[in-house]
Amino acid sequence: MPAAGPLPDSPSALIARIAQRDREAFSRFYDAFAGLALGLIRRILRDPAAAEEVLQEVFWQVWQEAERYDPKRGSPEAWLVMRAKTRAIDKLRAIRRREKTFVAPVDESVTRSDEATGENPGVAAEARGLVRSALDSLPEAQRRVVELAFFDGLTQSEIARKLGEPLGTIKTRARLGLERLRAVMRREGQGAR
Amino acid sequence: MNRDEIYDLAAGYALGTLDLEDRERFEVLLNARDADAATALREFQGTMTDLAAEGSVAPSPGIKAALMARIDAEGRARDAVVRTPETKRSERARWPLWSMVLTGAMAAGIAAIAVGLAVSTAYDRRLAQLQQEAVAIKEELNRQQAIMALLQDPATRFVSLGALEPAGGATARMVWHKTTGGLLVVRGMPPTPAGKAYELWAIPPGGSPIPAGVFTVDARGTASLRVSPVAAGTEVETFAVTLEPASGVLAPTGAMYLAGKL
Repeated sequence: MPAAGPLPDSPSALIARIAQRDREAFSRFYDAFAGLALGLIRRILRDPAAAEEVLQEVFWQVWQEAERYDPKRGSPEAWLVMRAKTRAIDKLRAIRRREKTFVAPVDESVTRSDEATGENPGVAAEARGLVRSALDSLPEAQRRVVELAFFDGLTQSEIARKLGEPLGTIKTRARLGLERLRAVMRREGQGAR
Repeated sequence: MNRDEIYDLAAGYALGTLDLEDRERFEVLLNARDADAATALREFQGTMTDLAAEGSVAPSPGIKAALMARIDAEGRARDAVVRTPETKRSERARWPLWSMVLTGAMAAGIAAIAVGLAVSTAYDRRLAQLQQEAVAIKEELNRQQAIMALLQDPATRFVSLGALEPAGGATARMVWHKTTGGLLVVRGMPPTPAGKAYELWAIPPGGSPIPAGVFTVDARGTASLRVSPVAAGTEVETFAVTLEPASGVLAPTGAMYLAGKL
């Protein structure tokens, strides 16, 4: 009689095996989700070499901390996406500190004072296809909140301060934005099939 | 808490943007297996995962190879620490009881010391790393504060340096304060030739150029240079950049790349 529980190769089962130091499970988990994680990291960092460095750190963290995975807090894919996002944003901030410590404030406020400074240049430049179209379908106010949250790693309070809006408004925009994104991606995904 | 509030929290949780207090509130719901919270989180996390999946990129094969090698190395290191007493067990089975007890105690002690040393070394390494990071952050903070003070001072002047022929499309700005000095930021400069460096000159009206620092540029032609103030009583009218030997010179000898008047 088959044992109850996740299928042997399901993401949850792989994570459970990784927690038991199963090398083969790690290899399969990597094959299944490294591309997904790298895509997200690259959208945040915009530097392919730095992105692969972060990808390696993220998966090393998966190997080291698989036993901490809590299914109550989401799927293994969501767990991985959140780790990838967090590490990418940490790296982005470290790069900005290292490379632009002395340049950034002046670089942006002085050197480019006479140029248009678009927010989120990386997102605008890099995101493509369905992602871009789904994001573009959001009302501007919701899109800004989703992008600042997901690609820039700001907390809701930080977004509220940055946009000069009440915290409650930001929370609601995040929810409405995600609900709408979900609907658009479902609709376009079905259209593609 | 009503359904909309739960969905607001779930959206923030999925985006990873909740403040600590809200995150704890939502985790209370998850731990209590609140059905709305679990459903909302599953939906929103699914959306975020789909969003990430749309931009999937195949990593270089070397990444996986490096990870697997690291895992293997970790396994070997763990075996070396943990399994050494284990492998000796069969030999000990032939020994008299008192000898086994004594040896077992010694082996346990050695293993404990080995594990202790390994843990201690790891913590020492981490501590050293954190100390380095703390120093770097403090230095950065000091630099940021110096820049803010410079920018906020009404006596601070902003100068654009125009690109001359050798500099192509380079741009440069100088933030200058006559008593505290300033900061030069350049972009799009040609690569610095081997053995050479760019040198900044502060030029008084009708006077000789005063060397104000040398710099090289990164791959994007970008650089910044902190500039010390010139001697008290000396006014600066013009800033210029020339290409000079890497050690810098006392009077300009090379081609002028940038220049701008206060």
